[in-house]
Amino acid sequence: MQFILRMALRELRSSWRRLAFFFLCVAIGVGSIVALRSLIQNVRVALTAEARSLTAGDVYVRADRPWTEAAEAAVRRRLAAQPGAERTDTVDTVTMVRLPDEASVRTKVVELRGVQDTFPFYGAFELRSGRSYDPALLDDRGALVAPDLLAQLDLRVGDRIAVGGEEFTIRDVIVSEPGRQLGAFAFGPRVLVAYDAVAATGLLGLGSRAEHQMLLRVGDESAIDPLVAALRADLEEEFARVGSYRRTENRIERNLGRAENYLSLIGFVVVILGGIGVWSVTRVFVQQRLRSVAVLKCLGATTPRVLAIYVAQVALLGLGGATLGVVFAQAALSAVPASLAEQAAAAAGIGAVSTDLTPSAVLQGIGVGVLVSVLFALVPLLDVRHVKPLLLLRQGQVEPPPGVDWLRVGATAAVGAGLVVVAAWQAASLEVGLYVVVGFVGVAFALHAIGRVLVTAVRPLATSRLFALRHAVLNLTRPGNQTRVVLLAVGLGSFFIIGVRAIQTNLLAGFALELREDMPDMFLIDIQQDQADGVRGMLDEAGAGSRGGAAQLIPVLRARVTGVQGEQTSIEGRREVRRAGFGREYTVTYRARLEDNERVVAGRFWDAEPSAVPEVSIEESLHERGIDVGDRVRFDVLGREIEARVTSVRDVEWDDSRSGGFMFLFRPGTFDDAPHTFIAFLQGPREEAARARLQRDIVAQYANVSVIDGLSVIATVRRVLGYVTRAITVVGGIALLAGVLILVGSVAMTKFQRMYEAAVFKTLGASSRALIAMYVLEYGVLGTLAGLVGAIGAMGLTWAMSSRLLDVPWRVAPLVAVVGVAATALLVGAVGVVSSTDVLRRKPLATLRAE
Amino acid sequence: MIELRGVSKTVESGGQPLTILHPLDLVVPAGQLLAVVGPSGSGKSTLLGLVAGLDEPSTGTILIDGVDITALTEDRLAELRGAKIGFVFQFFHLMPSLSAFENVLVPLEIAGAPDPAREARNLLEEVGLTGRAHHYPSQLSGGEQQRVAIARALANAPPILLADEPTGNLDTRTGGQVVELLIEVNRRRRTTVVLVTHDLELAQRADVTLSMRDGRTERIESPASRALPGVVAGS
Repeated sequence: MQFILRMALRELRSSWRRLAFFFLCVAIGVGSIVALRSLIQNVRVALTAEARSLTAGDVYVRADRPWTEAAEAAVRRRLAAQPGAERTDTVDTVTMVRLPDEASVRTKVVELRGVQDTFPFYGAFELRSGRSYDPALLDDRGALVAPDLLAQLDLRVGDRIAVGGEEFTIRDVIVSEPGRQLGAFAFGPRVLVAYDAVAATGLLGLGSRAEHQMLLRVGDESAIDPLVAALRADLEEEFARVGSYRRTENRIERNLGRAENYLSLIGFVVVILGGIGVWSVTRVFVQQRLRSVAVLKCLGATTPRVLAIYVAQVALLGLGGATLGVVFAQAALSAVPASLAEQAAAAAGIGAVSTDLTPSAVLQGIGVGVLVSVLFALVPLLDVRHVKPLLLLRQGQVEPPPGVDWLRVGATAAVGAGLVVVAAWQAASLEVGLYVVVGFVGVAFALHAIGRVLVTAVRPLATSRLFALRHAVLNLTRPGNQTRVVLLAVGLGSFFIIGVRAIQTNLLAGFALELREDMPDMFLIDIQQDQADGVRGMLDEAGAGSRGGAAQLIPVLRARVTGVQGEQTSIEGRREVRRAGFGREYTVTYRARLEDNERVVAGRFWDAEPSAVPEVSIEESLHERGIDVGDRVRFDVLGREIEARVTSVRDVEWDDSRSGGFMFLFRPGTFDDAPHTFIAFLQGPREEAARARLQRDIVAQYANVSVIDGLSVIATVRRVLGYVTRAITVVGGIALLAGVLILVGSVAMTKFQRMYEAAVFKTLGASSRALIAMYVLEYGVLGTLAGLVGAIGAMGLTWAMSSRLLDVPWRVAPLVAVVGVAATALLVGAVGVVSSTDVLRRKPLATLRAE
Repeated sequence: MIELRGVSKTVESGGQPLTILHPLDLVVPAGQLLAVVGPSGSGKSTLLGLVAGLDEPSTGTILIDGVDITALTEDRLAELRGAKIGFVFQFFHLMPSLSAFENVLVPLEIAGAPDPAREARNLLEEVGLTGRAHHYPSQLSGGEQQRVAIARALANAPPILLADEPTGNLDTRTGGQVVELLIEVNRRRRTTVVLVTHDLELAQRADVTLSMRDGRTERIESPASRALPGVVAGS
């Protein structure tokens, strides 16, 4: 054992330089694994430590309608039974902020939250001024706001903003806040005001979308779960959700754990890429070490011992690469500017996140690095079995004995299984591990096949009359060439980059299409009945309309299903409704006719006559979930119970959302005199100033109405898409970097052969210029092929993604593809020629003598 | 003692069987210095490879100290070589990535010698290379490399030393030094030496000379007119 290690170390002294590049790939992959895992583990530590402050209480009770007497009474009773227990209330709503200044047209959708003096029970606000939070800041219409609101409306602390019917003074800026739901989609920046002030704005009127929350502090940890259970039972028939901070904690654990495992797969793919490099280099390495192997055997070393020496070498190099990867990871995390880390942490609503590496991430990274290196080296190393010491007496080829080499087959299968195990370990799921490895093998196989076809396609050039071109192409197919591996590695990198760019192009084109002429680009919600005429008038004046005609206001009500009775179905009570999948609150409407994007698939749609007997038409997906024509569905609409008969099932073309889509559509008559609000799908004025003016005017006059600008939503989508693209491009960049390293390594591997050839060429009278031209062409062709491999693969990927997954029309992105191929060719050409320079510089005699 | 009984070697060449060594009986007693001479392709190296167990004979058996090596597996053969046979090649075949000292160390370590470092130093001293111990093969002259190879071959004190054209790649003077070294080893250590060579002058100094041509024994003689104890040859 000692001998094996010592021998491996001695051999490494001379071999590491040639093998280094491949293990640099391993280092990069391990670095990504360690950095990503450490970062997320640190975030997890920070978050779970603050789970209570994320909830801001021990127990929460949430509902999207004001508390009923029954609910209030139940909570009061439970609290009274729990000595020392306290309660604080919050209310959240999405609304518009505008400036009190009549001349200003700026408005902004915000998340308004009202809190009582005792908020929060846990956690603390961090304010930009540095002072500590005091509920008195919210007195006399004071407000605390998120930094982005100041930036977007160009405001300063001390300025005034108007929300609903009230004006508020900005007293400070929130850096981080407790009780912010993590990962929840934010409609806009936070505006924090006193609890009572929210009611005063008039925003909690009929049909408003407000979330009411009671936060409870129990004090006694063991009382939390029983209290949650008791409240759930009490509030069974109320539309309330009850939970504890532990639920938040569990959710964070689960989500972040998943994120950690999936993200580390990115690093794993790069390690695999390095592994492919290791595999390829080991093949060449074994060829170069045949003599040494023969000498060892001649000196009495058995085949298992020789094999062990080389496996140990690979393992040591893998360990070295992985250790270097850990250094990379530490460097990367340290390089994250503290300010950026703070901003990110603040955005997530948490305190400081450590940028240290975690021991478990380091161990996992090193484990993966060493395992993958050894797994990939194993099969090519098996060739040392066939080395005969007779080689030392007589020149000859090492030829495997005829017949199936079962050990090799078995080892290949074991390596494949080993990779699945490592991937499954990384993803913490056998299924995902299997998908990743099979997916990777599939992509690798496809790229490999494309590469093979392309290499065959350029082969006729080997008979070209141009010396440089002829030899460039011959070099690509020489024995021991690395063409396939470089094509695969570089091709994979450009595949990632071109692929994601092409998908982005396709998606953006898809969105641009959605914005075509007749699509609505502005949405109004929460228009009260008495505001309808006024709003309509303003819209007409501004030239905003629905589908070319005058603006149409759609009446809506918010309803919950409380029961379904039919031949096949019987659903009664909140619990059953929730289990059947009808638990959410539905926005419903009524009208006499079908919209263009609707089609009746079962039953009969009503005629224009209003009916006193409630009738409802359901969307197809509800039908699939068990409601049928003829069933009676009971609804709770603003506390009023309505039972309606299902008379038809509609198929709604959701993509064509000019008129929106409704799960439940009622026959006119039922709700005519019920209080309801209106929404509108509009095409706003084209001109930007007019758009802003219209939004501002509506909000100034009807403070409770929210105006959502589709154009800015699209802009947000574009921005998010941009982030995602950039993130995947970074991954592709890392893959490409790994590919380039493999390329440099391949050039280094074949250097001796090249030097010899160059010497022979020079002796035969070839000038350095001719040799340079040969190398430029060789690597230019190789790079072009790699780019084509990536581009063709990317086309396939975008086609599959566009047509199967994203459902947008597929189009070739020629510019992306051409630029991608050209850039890859340039990169590979430059790298190949630069790493060949010392071959050119050597004097021929020295090389020939050495041979 | 080396004993060959009816050993021959036939290979496939261009689809035709080609006999490169015709059946041969040979006994080399312990302590003898045997020189095998003959032109290129006469079967000298084939004979040496068979004796070392580097190649399998087509017919016959080869006994090393009474053990039939044709019946051994590849790995048992390797162990036998490690313990009983030292090898010196025309092209030295030192491991380029190891220093002179380490090259000598390897067989000692493979065999699990008790104090390999001391032994390796002694061997290098024996071949007169103490000062060059930490040089790499590429930093040594041809003669020096061959002396390192002899030191390596002597590791584990094998009873048999096989040398394939040990001077073939050296100039006359350094070749002479290597020859002296081999003869000294044979005399002082009583090591059986089988020497394949082109060099007739060198062959003159052997106990016995075996001349070969076209895979057959041409003649066996004792150049120093010494008796031929125990050598039996035939074809």
